[in-house]
Amino acid sequence: MDHLEKLKGVWQDQNDSAIKFTKSDIFGMIQKKSSSVVKWILIVSIIEFILPNLLLLFTDNTASKKLYETYGLNGIMLNYTILYVIIIIGFIYYFYKNYKNISADNSVKELLHSIILTRKTVKYYINTNLTLAAIIGLHVFYKVFNSKVFMDKLPENTNMLTVWATAITVFAIVLFLFWCVYKIVYGFFLRKLNRNYKELLKNE
Amino acid sequence: MTQELENKFAGELEKNQGIIHKVCRTYTNNDAAHKDLFQEITIQLWKAYPKFRGDSKFSTWMYRVAFNTAISLYRKSKRNIETTQIYDNLKELEYQDYDDSKDNQLKLLYKAIHSLNDIEKALALLYLEDKSYKEIAITLGISEVNARVKMNRTKTKLKNILNP
Repeated sequence: MDHLEKLKGVWQDQNDSAIKFTKSDIFGMIQKKSSSVVKWILIVSIIEFILPNLLLLFTDNTASKKLYETYGLNGIMLNYTILYVIIIIGFIYYFYKNYKNISADNSVKELLHSIILTRKTVKYYINTNLTLAAIIGLHVFYKVFNSKVFMDKLPENTNMLTVWATAITVFAIVLFLFWCVYKIVYGFFLRKLNRNYKELLKNE
Repeated sequence: MTQELENKFAGELEKNQGIIHKVCRTYTNNDAAHKDLFQEITIQLWKAYPKFRGDSKFSTWMYRVAFNTAISLYRKSKRNIETTQIYDNLKELEYQDYDDSKDNQLKLLYKAIHSLNDIEKALALLYLEDKSYKEIAITLGISEVNARVKMNRTKTKLKNILNP
C-alpha cells in the first residue's frame, strides 16, 4: 500500500486534540467580536470613502472661493462637484452590494472572489478620484493661465512653458504620493488573498 | 429563541470540534494561534448558522466555513508569531525520525503539511479525511477535474517531503 494511504489511517485515528473546549467555552466565544480581515477591509474602505471629503470639508475654503471668483471658475467647479457626488454615490452602492455578498459559507473560491471584488471597487474609486482630480487640475490651470488677471501679475518675458511644467510637476507629485499610500494599504490586505485565489484557479 | 439556538449550536459544535481542531493544527503552528483561529472559526460558524438548513451534512458545512476562515478571513496577530512553536519541535523530531510510533508519524505528517501552501493544505486535509472529489470540488468551488489535478500534485509534493 502507498505510504500516504497508510498515513490516512494514522490521521483518522488521531486522538482528540490536546486542546479541547467545553460547551461553556463555546458560549463565551460566540459572544466575542470577529477580528476577520473582512471587518478591517470594511473599516479601511469606509475611511477611504470619507477621508477625501472630510479633507475638503475641514480645509479653509475662503481662499479657493476667492480664486474661483477671480478667475471665473464657479460654473465649472459646480459641474465637477455634481459629477463627483454622482460618482461617490454609485461607488458606495457597488461597494455595499459586494460587501453584502461576502459570506463565510460560500465555497472557498466564491469567498475569495467576493472579498477581492469588494476591495477592487475601492481601488477603482481611488483611481477615478485621482483621474478626476487630474482633469479638474488641468482644466483649472488652463483657465487660470489664460486669464488676463494672471497674465497681468506675471513678470514680463516669462516663458509659459516653464509655468506649465512647474505646475504639472508639483501636481503630479502630490497625486503620485496619494496613489502610493493607497497601494501600500491595498497590498497589505490583498497579497495573501490574491495569491490563494490564483493558486486555486490554476488549471481551471 | 436565540438562547435555544445558541444552546443547539454549542452542543453540535462541542460534539464536532475535532474537525475544527484538525483545521487549526493544519494552519497554525503554536498553541496561541490555534486557539485564536478556533475562536474566529467559531464566530464565523455562529454568524452563518441561521442560514444552515441542513441540506448538507453539518460536518461538510463546518469544513467549508473553517477553510474559508483559515484561508481568507483570518489575520495572524503579532502575538501569535512571537510565541514559540510547540507542535513542530524540529530538533526533537530529527532525533526521532526512525521512531515508528503513530504519534510520531502524525507529528511528521503535520510537519510536512505545514510546508504546503494554503490551498494545498486544504487538499491534503480533505484527502486524509477520505473525502470524495465531488465534495472537495464543492468545498473549494473548483471543477472536479481541477480538484483531481491539484490533488495529484499535492500528494506528490507531500510524498517528496515525507521521503526525500
